[in-house]
Amino acid sequence: MRSASRDRRRAAVLAIAVAWLPATGSGATPAEPYVAEPMPPGFRVESSELDGPVFADPRGRTLYRWPYRTMRNGVTGDGNGESNCSATPSTESAGLMSPYPGGLLLPERGQRPSCQQLWPPAYAADGSRGVGKWRVVERRDGRRQWAYDGAVLYTSVRDRHPGDVLGGDSYRDDGDAPAVRDPIQPKPDLPPGLAVSTTLRGRLLHTSRGFSVYAFDGDARAHSGCDAACEQLFVPIRAPAAARAHGEWEIFARASGERQWMFRGRPLYVHAGESRVRSLAGSDVPGWRNVYTQEASPPPAEFTVQDTSAGQVLADARGRTIYSYTCGDDAPDQLSCEHPADTQVYRLAMCGGGSAERCARNFPYVEAAKGASSRGRLWRIVTIDTATGHWAADGTPGALRVWAYRERPVFTFAGDEQPGEVNADGLGEFLADREGFKAFWWRDEFFRE
Amino acid sequence: MLLASGAGAADGTAPEGRSIAYVITNLSWALQSTPEMVECPQGLNDGVREQFKQLFPEVADRPREFTDTQLRRQVESYHPTTAPDALPFREGQGPVAPGLDLDGVNGSEDFTSPEGVRGIDNQMHRVLGCIANYRAPDGPIRFFEDEMVLRENYNRIIVQLTGVDSLADDPAVDVLIFRGRDPVLVDAGGLKALPGGTQRIDTRWGTRYIRRMPGRIENGVLSTEPVDLLYPWDAFYMPTDHYMWGARLQLALTPEAAEGLIAGYADVETWYLHMQRNWSAHYQSYGKSSGPSIYKAMRRLADAVPDPATGANRAISSALAAKFTEVRVLPFSAAEIAAIAAARPGFPYGGMPARRPVEEELAETGAGGAPATAVAARGNH
Repeated sequence: MRSASRDRRRAAVLAIAVAWLPATGSGATPAEPYVAEPMPPGFRVESSELDGPVFADPRGRTLYRWPYRTMRNGVTGDGNGESNCSATPSTESAGLMSPYPGGLLLPERGQRPSCQQLWPPAYAADGSRGVGKWRVVERRDGRRQWAYDGAVLYTSVRDRHPGDVLGGDSYRDDGDAPAVRDPIQPKPDLPPGLAVSTTLRGRLLHTSRGFSVYAFDGDARAHSGCDAACEQLFVPIRAPAAARAHGEWEIFARASGERQWMFRGRPLYVHAGESRVRSLAGSDVPGWRNVYTQEASPPPAEFTVQDTSAGQVLADARGRTIYSYTCGDDAPDQLSCEHPADTQVYRLAMCGGGSAERCARNFPYVEAAKGASSRGRLWRIVTIDTATGHWAADGTPGALRVWAYRERPVFTFAGDEQPGEVNADGLGEFLADREGFKAFWWRDEFFRE
Repeated sequence: MLLASGAGAADGTAPEGRSIAYVITNLSWALQSTPEMVECPQGLNDGVREQFKQLFPEVADRPREFTDTQLRRQVESYHPTTAPDALPFREGQGPVAPGLDLDGVNGSEDFTSPEGVRGIDNQMHRVLGCIANYRAPDGPIRFFEDEMVLRENYNRIIVQLTGVDSLADDPAVDVLIFRGRDPVLVDAGGLKALPGGTQRIDTRWGTRYIRRMPGRIENGVLSTEPVDLLYPWDAFYMPTDHYMWGARLQLALTPEAAEGLIAGYADVETWYLHMQRNWSAHYQSYGKSSGPSIYKAMRRLADAVPDPATGANRAISSALAAKFTEVRVLPFSAAEIAAIAAARPGFPYGGMPARRPVEEELAETGAGGAPATAVAARGNH
C-alpha cells in the first residue's frame, strides 16, 4: 500500500515541468457567450473547453475559489474574504468524512505538498484596487490577495495554458465530494428562462427548470420547419414582446405571429413530455438535436459508445466501459489524489489492494492506439509509468501511452466482461464521489441530472 | 410476507383479457427479525466504526498511520478474501426464518418458516439476520433499499401474467418479468402506490431483465418454475443489479396487489458488488455492518452453485419479501415483441479479476491459522 518509487516520481515530475505556454488546439466550436463585467487591469476571460468562459489573471491563468463546505464531520474551505490554504503541508487526516477518525498520519508525508504549493494565491500587485465584484483583501501574512464576490482567489499549478481548468471543475457534485476548488466564471449570456450546465458533451442549454433545449435540422434562419403536428412534440420557446435580441440570441416571428427565440440562427424548442431534466431523449427523434452553447472536444476516435441498463457510456474500441478515478484526501486542505502528479497510494489501494500489478490487471489503462493523437486539450495522450502511476520520464521501462481526460488517465475494468457493463461505476467511497471509479456517462437515462 | 393460504386473495374470476400485471413497490431481504431478538442471542454485529476501534485502538504517544489503519480496512473491503475473520461475527439463528424450500430437502441447516413449513433454505438469514442495517422493520439499509424501489424508475420490475383463467386456481399461466419505464402511480403523499397506473415495457435499456417462466395459481397463490434472474435494484442512484440463481416467485394474488417471496440462490459476488457500489463504509456504519465480515460470512455459508474450477459455492440460499401493485401494461408494439423474443438475459458478476490472496490478508492481520470466528453455534433444530 505504499508508494513504489519516490525517486522515479520526482524525476517524472521534473520532466513535465514546463513553462507557461500559449494556448493551442482550442475547442472546435464557438465559445459560449458571457456577460461582460468590470475586471481589474489585465484580468481577462478565457474560454475553456469543458467549463465555458472562466476568469483568468493577466497571465491567462484560470482563477479558482475554495468554497466553504460542510463535510460529514466538520467544515473546511475558505471563509468570506479569508484564506485557509496554508503554506505548511498537512501531516494528519482531519476525519472530516465518516466513519473513520481524524489524526491518522497521512501517507507519503515527505513528499506531500502544501495547499499553497498546489494553489498559489492570486496575489495583488502593489497599488491594485478593487473594481465591481473584485476586491483586494489582506491575508494573515500581510500580503494582499485578490477576491471575487467575497471568495479569495488562487491559480492552480496544474494549469499550463490559458483556458486550462485542470485544478478543479465546475461540474463535480456537491454531495460527498471533497471540498474541491471551482473556477470562477462570468455569468453566461442567456435569455431569461434559460440556463446552461456543464456535461461531458459540452455546455448543455436547458430551461431554468432544467428541461433540455432542442434545434431542428429542418429549420432555417428565422424560419421554422416544425408545423402544427410537429409542435405537439416539440414546443417552440416563445419570446415575450418585451424580449430583445442581443449577441447570438435572436428572435423571429413564426407563421402564427408568435415570437420564438433563436440561438446562432437556429430556432429553439423543448421536447414535450420529457420526464427528466437535462435529457437527451428528444435527440432520438430524427432531425432533432440538443443545443450546446459550446461543445466539448469529442472523445478519441477509437472510443465507442455502448448501451447499458441505465443509458450510454463511453467505451474503448472493444466496448469496455471507460472510467475515471476521482480522489480527494481527508486532510484539512482536501488535496487531490487523482492526478498523476498526486500521491498514488489511494488509487493503488482501491484498484489493487496496494499492488500496482493487480491494479493494472483489474483496472488497465486505456492505451492509445498506434498513430493516435490528442484531440483538443480535454482528451490527451499522456505517458504513464505503470509501476508507480506517475508521469513517465523518457525511457522509463514499462511506460505506456494512455488516454487521459483533463490530464487524469482513464481506465477500463476487467470485471466488465461484455460491452455495456458498468460494474465499477461508483466503486469506492461515497459512491466514488469521494474516491473511486466512475463511468463516463455519455447519456444517463435514470440518475444523473 | 408470504400468505401461505392465499385465503381471501382470489375472487375466482379471470382478469380482463386473461392478463394481469403487477409492478414492484417494496423489496427487502426476508429475515427473521423479532423484537426480542431471539435469533441473535449474543446481540447484533459491530460495524465499520466499532471494528476500527477494536483493531486500532487509540494509544497515547503512538500515532497511527493512515495506510496501516483506515486504508488497510478499505483494502479489506474492496478486495475481500475468505481468510478467517479476525473479529467475531454473530450469525442469525433458527429455528425460524422466512423463505422457501428450494431443494426439496429438510437439511440440518434448514429453517422452519413462520407459517410452519419445514426445509426452508435461507442461509442469507444467518449472514444478515444479526446486522442492524438489514433487520426489519427499519434497519437503515433495508429502509432505503425498500424506499428506492418505488422511487427509482431503474427498479421498475413488472410481473405480467397471461393466459389466466382464474386468479384463484389455474394450473398453467405464462409469467413474463420485465422492467417498466414509467413512474408508479402513487397517492398525493407520494409514498402509497395505487393500482390502475400504466406502464410501458423498457426494451431500450432493460432487455437484460426480460425473463419468461411457466407458473401456476393454486388457492390464489402464484408459484413459478425456477429461472436464473438478473434484476435491477439501485439504492443510491447507481445502476446496480442482483442475480439470483434458480429464482422462483410465490405471490398471493388479488386483483389489486400481489405479495410474497422471491426466493433462490443469491450470487455472492454480485451481491457484494451491489453493496460496495451503493453502500460504502460511511453508509455501512449507519446500521453497523462491515463489508469484509459480511463477505467472509457469505462465502462461508454459500450453499449452492459450486464453481467448476474451485468447487467453492458461489451462491447462497435466500429470499426477498416483495410487494406489488396492479398495473396496466400498454400493449406491446411489434418492435417490443421482437425485442422480447430476442432478449438475452443478463448474467452475474464474476468478482474482482485479480484477487487478493488470502495469505496477504492473513499476513497483515496476523490471523494466520486462526479458525473462523463465527460466535454462535449453527444448530437451529
